[in-house]
Amino acid sequence: MNFDPVAYTAAALSAPVLLVLAAFAILLLPLFFKGLRGTQGLIGLGAVLVTLTFFRAAPQAKLLLFYGALEISPLSSYLWAFALAVLGLTIVLSLARPPAQEGNEGEFYFLAVMASIGLMVMVSAGDLFTAFIALELLSLPVYALAGIRRTKPGLEAAYKYFMLGAFGSGVTILGIAILNALYPSLAFEALRSAPAAAPQLALAGFMLVIAGFAFKTALVPFHMWVPDAYEGAPTQVSAFMAAAVKAGGVILLWRIFSLFSGGPVVKVFWWLTVITAVFANLAALAQSGLKRLLAYSSIAHAGYLAVAFFGGRPGFEAVLYYLPVYAMATIGAFSVALVLEKDEKGPKIEDLAGLAKTRPWLAASMAAFMFSLAGVPPLAGFFAKFYAFAAAVSGGYTSLVVIAVVMSAVSVYYYLRVTVVMYMKQPAEGAMTAQQAPGAVEAVVFLMAIGVLFAGVFSGPLLSLAAEASHWF
Amino acid sequence: MELLTNPLSFVILLPAFLGLAIFAVPRDNAGLLKKFALLGTLATFGVSLKLWTGFDPASAAMQFALDKAWLPSYGINYSLGIDGISLLMVLLTTFLMPISVLASFSYIKEAQRPYYASLLFLEAAMIGVFAASDLFVFYLFWEAMLIPMYFLIGVWGGPRRVYAALKFFIYTMAGSVLMLAAILWLASAHHAASGAWTFSMPALLGAPLAERLQFWLFAAFALAFAVKVPLFPFHTWLPDAHVEAPTAGSVILAGVLLKMGVYGYLRLAVPLFPQAAAVFAPWLAGLGVVGVIYGSLVAWSQKDMKKMVAYSSVAHLGIVMLGVMAFEPAAVAGGVLQMVNHGLSTGALFLLVGVLYERRHTRQIEDYGGLAKVMPAFAAVFMIVTLSSIGLPGLNGFIGEALVLFGSFRVHPWLAGIAVGGVILSAVYMLGMYQQVVFGPLRHEENKALPDLSLREWLYLLPLLAFIVLIGVLPNPFLRRIRPAVDNYIALSRQHTAPPAAVLNLGYGTKESK
Repeated sequence: MNFDPVAYTAAALSAPVLLVLAAFAILLLPLFFKGLRGTQGLIGLGAVLVTLTFFRAAPQAKLLLFYGALEISPLSSYLWAFALAVLGLTIVLSLARPPAQEGNEGEFYFLAVMASIGLMVMVSAGDLFTAFIALELLSLPVYALAGIRRTKPGLEAAYKYFMLGAFGSGVTILGIAILNALYPSLAFEALRSAPAAAPQLALAGFMLVIAGFAFKTALVPFHMWVPDAYEGAPTQVSAFMAAAVKAGGVILLWRIFSLFSGGPVVKVFWWLTVITAVFANLAALAQSGLKRLLAYSSIAHAGYLAVAFFGGRPGFEAVLYYLPVYAMATIGAFSVALVLEKDEKGPKIEDLAGLAKTRPWLAASMAAFMFSLAGVPPLAGFFAKFYAFAAAVSGGYTSLVVIAVVMSAVSVYYYLRVTVVMYMKQPAEGAMTAQQAPGAVEAVVFLMAIGVLFAGVFSGPLLSLAAEASHWF
Repeated sequence: MELLTNPLSFVILLPAFLGLAIFAVPRDNAGLLKKFALLGTLATFGVSLKLWTGFDPASAAMQFALDKAWLPSYGINYSLGIDGISLLMVLLTTFLMPISVLASFSYIKEAQRPYYASLLFLEAAMIGVFAASDLFVFYLFWEAMLIPMYFLIGVWGGPRRVYAALKFFIYTMAGSVLMLAAILWLASAHHAASGAWTFSMPALLGAPLAERLQFWLFAAFALAFAVKVPLFPFHTWLPDAHVEAPTAGSVILAGVLLKMGVYGYLRLAVPLFPQAAAVFAPWLAGLGVVGVIYGSLVAWSQKDMKKMVAYSSVAHLGIVMLGVMAFEPAAVAGGVLQMVNHGLSTGALFLLVGVLYERRHTRQIEDYGGLAKVMPAFAAVFMIVTLSSIGLPGLNGFIGEALVLFGSFRVHPWLAGIAVGGVILSAVYMLGMYQQVVFGPLRHEENKALPDLSLREWLYLLPLLAFIVLIGVLPNPFLRRIRPAVDNYIALSRQHTAPPAAVLNLGYGTKESK
């Protein structure tokens, strides 16, 4: 290893530090300089872009910082880049179509940046307690973001999300307390072996922690908040939740899962996965709102991601590839919802009728997202599912994969329904014509569409990055 | 570069590229769009002729092979290659495409650009299925084909098009996902045994699998292909899709897509799992024969010409399955040839129904009658195609059906005997339909002024007629090319190697945690 740890540490930490500075700049500067009001989003976007330029090929090493609280490695670089990309896209969407009232921009972008910092710390946490603090740092801003509009659906979403989320946090911290009593250290490495005393109690602790993290990942039966929160929150925030919050939960669940090589925890995961895949896909069939549909779709994808857990290291590689591919399709689909949005709950699926005639390229992009989420080749979603399922099969969990593929055949129906409405239905009399949204939202849509079109067939580069990162968990 | 210099790869990439390039043509310039699509498919056909001329008929090996690393972490290669069977299927595809494009000129009036783009993408995916020698590549093309076909049916189809398109997509998808699981299982079993990932078909052939396992894996593959063939009772998507699809869509569905199912048995299901195939074969052949009788009887009772032709497809593909599952050289060769024949004659029938529909906007048999008086040329062409479809000696249908029946009689005499009954039934309903449509008095006023075939219609019907006659009188150039591949298929189907060790039986795939 020929590298300078000090310089590397400084470079690695520059990303979160810069973001923290940017967050406070966003919040405070406009208070003092009136000329800066309304430019908070641009400051945030600039900070994200500058931070992204700090990313270089990370050295092949794992650095433990702050007594093991943070692990800096190619894995954290990969996930940080993902978090920053999601944040950047969210900011672009929000700049184009402000989700908050005039004068609230400062809070909005501050919270979004803080949540992303939470995500970054969460995915590189070296111990359970850091992970929990990061989880709170991610969750609290998102609760507020969900209700930033202070209107009824938004507040309802924020309230439900907050109540259930606080309960989830409580459960997690109880679990962590139990584990803290039984283990000498809460570092993930130390949790690997069985505790000296009371293995049953340790199991209970792990179960509580898993329940808390499964809440963030939205595995059934911890998913109840998702449809309401995604529907009521501003669409930009829903996209952020679907992509970022879920990614954080998935990484933490994988951390816990990878501590075990069998036994009751693996069994619990097996059942969580099956129930999630089955229930979410069946429930999605009955949805009529586009954002609710995407919410159930995101729950179902959490199930597919959990399938990949059973594939060991290659499974984690598949997870790392799956997350950006899924995020592209979901952010793209939410952006389409944003273009068509008239009221706060977002468009109904029927509102997309005739979109192929009025906005052919928008409809084509939406169709690409739907086919990608359904896992139809040659779109990227197929490749993601393929890698996830291949890993699980080679891990010996064929029956799990059979259930997952059958449920993904079910999912085809509700994804196709969106394309049916867009391509095969005439727009209803007096229905809204798609508004001419600001170009930036459409730019995001097309960028994501290009992503799902090509990230699959040319999945080599992304997959090799994911493979490299997956060796460092 | 190899992707473009290899003619096989070029034939796949060319229509895919043209499908993208057509979006550079202005949306309202219908004339240019049509020309672009026609010339594009003709160019593809021209390139594919190189496969015919450069093909070594004596060899059973995969020719024009290409093996290019694609996704190295899972050992997935973009590998292609064709033997005699795939050669005929690829050429059938490239041959039917310009015809389908020509037949769409007056039928498709709106959204022409995405329509022709869908046709071109569909062509690329279909050729890809027939050319793949890697399971991943095969599955990719197999599923990718669904998207353009779904839009062809759903956007440009008849009144119940949404229902038909969804049914088509979901049936196929539901059938195929278990095949994906089986493919993954097979590849990871190979990985567990040899330490290397591969999805290459030749490498996975002859994997020592225990019989019980072969049973499940074969079932997963067989289900996917049975939906596509379609075998009774998985056929219910077919009448809907065929009837609702625009003419070109029906031609491609009947002409090429159904062949992909049989091709799957020939290329994958049987060679990969010969022991299970031996157990399943009589049942599949039996289902084929049930399809022959059932399809014929249902076709007989149809009042809608397109529906009748659709059900007759179920019957014809039943004959093909009977041949392919007999593992007897003549029967299999006949089955393969019959795949081509069915593509030509049923394609032509759909085109002829389309010709009538464009003039009268009805497909009911009772709305016609006496067409021989106003459309003599149409009546003559219709006659030849009908006779080809029912297997008149001297035309293509006879050669295929006779070979299948002769060959399979040695293996399954009872089934072959029943199938003959189905062949007779097909003569009854096809000729009955022909008689009601073409002969008799001109009952309807509207029919008195129907124009005969136009130049464009002649242009796309003549090549079909030429091959219908050519294969009928001169089948040998075709049979000679499929013979080595057929022998190879039969040899593979007899490879009943007992697994040397229980490696792939016990332990692997059974360590479930429940």
